[in-house]
Amino acid sequence: MIQKISASISVELIYDHRQHTVTPRRLFWNGRLFRTTQLGLHHTQHQGQTLLHFFSVVSQGLFFKLKLDTDTLHWTLEEISDGLAN
Amino acid sequence: MAWLTEFGFNPAPATVMHLDINSCFATIEQQANPLLRGKPIAVAAYNSPQGCLLAPSVEAKKLGLKVGMRVREGLILCPDLIVLTPDPEKYRSVHHSLKKILSEYTSVVIPKSIDEFVLDFSGTPSFTRGLSIVALEIKRRLKEELGEYLTVSIGLAPNRFLAKTASNLHKPDGLDEINKSNFLKVYQQLSLTDLTGIARSSSLRLNQAGIYTVLDFFQADLQALHLAFSSISGHHWFQRLHGWEVDQTEWAVKSFGHSYSLPKFLTKPADLAPILSKLVEKVGFRLRKSNFQARGVHLGLLFQDHQYWHQGSSFTQPIFLSQDIYRAAYHLLSQSPHHLPVRYLAVSCYGLVPGNSIQLGFFEDHLKKENLVKALDQINLRWGNFTITPATMVTAKDLVQDRISFGR
Repeated sequence: MIQKISASISVELIYDHRQHTVTPRRLFWNGRLFRTTQLGLHHTQHQGQTLLHFFSVVSQGLFFKLKLDTDTLHWTLEEISDGLAN
Repeated sequence: MAWLTEFGFNPAPATVMHLDINSCFATIEQQANPLLRGKPIAVAAYNSPQGCLLAPSVEAKKLGLKVGMRVREGLILCPDLIVLTPDPEKYRSVHHSLKKILSEYTSVVIPKSIDEFVLDFSGTPSFTRGLSIVALEIKRRLKEELGEYLTVSIGLAPNRFLAKTASNLHKPDGLDEINKSNFLKVYQQLSLTDLTGIARSSSLRLNQAGIYTVLDFFQADLQALHLAFSSISGHHWFQRLHGWEVDQTEWAVKSFGHSYSLPKFLTKPADLAPILSKLVEKVGFRLRKSNFQARGVHLGLLFQDHQYWHQGSSFTQPIFLSQDIYRAAYHLLSQSPHHLPVRYLAVSCYGLVPGNSIQLGFFEDHLKKENLVKALDQINLRWGNFTITPATMVTAKDLVQDRISFGR
């Protein structure tokens, strides 16, 4: 089931200078801590002139779509899914 | 043109690559969300039962799902089907990243649609490495740099048409070449409607000319093909099937249009007005962004009973303001002789002229209008689409979402 959320979320982001990769490592949302196990896709989008980064990650059997607003550096949880049909 | 027949099949090696992302939207969703991998999923225009399937995943295709089916039909074939609505920016982002990789191999990278590229390697250093080696390297880099679940089918040939044909031979993740050594063998495996551009009606037309197979088509002489198509098309098909290039023409933009399938059918022009207004805003913005003005506006309506009505309106003075396009489109809408529920609405601008060719009128201050619309467009560019909108489209704010067209 896929749920659109649009809620503020705490994210710990790691930049690896050797691999040149950027990955959200831990998320804190709804009173729970999630350690990410897989990054599915990282993509970007412009909303007007604001650059948004989207990270699609998996943690503890759940999928999270995270948005980083590069103007405010605030994170938003856009979507959550358990990978099952609605 | 009889001299053409003396040339036979093009003996040149393959220089054209056609690359096609397999089940594009669905595979990108499976790449983004690893929990969806290996499962039957489909991206549909809407997730309601009447929603049209835009991209079933490879797993869903194996269960018989096809592009164009309704969500309801998909769920009958596959009750566990996971239906997603499109995320165009995600697909555009993958498209741009892939284009960036491809541009490292040749400067001639032509996007044919969101999921298809044509590359011409003539005279490039990549060509000397061998196109099969380059194709395998592109496949590997796609997985390493964009995502391990993404696959592409690649076709190689001396012309664009045969490169596309080759890319369709094995899906997903295929790599095939059509050249002077194997073209007859490939043609034997194909039916007429397997060829891009030959639909059922063209196939029937060819049947009437005694052409029933792709081999017959290849062996037919120019005169027979000219008679079958009654146009220059016969001549073009002769060349395509013989491996010569006829599809290199890049067509200029002739119109800007947007359309919308209504989830709830509406009858009164006043009820359709907000949707029309939003479509016009999108058309007007793209028209001005490409620095064009239009000498005509066209409106198309598909009714609940599948009757189609369309009308165009031309002007002596070109227009560029969304307000003027809306006025013309609404006038056309109110002229429709049918008062039936509308299921599909399309509006476009045609008769394009360069944006800097404004003729100053006696009664209207065009410069003032132009400055105003430029300021509005700049606000929308800075803060995002539809930051400032006409009052007429307020109720259509969440309707007419961003979509990716199937063409270029």
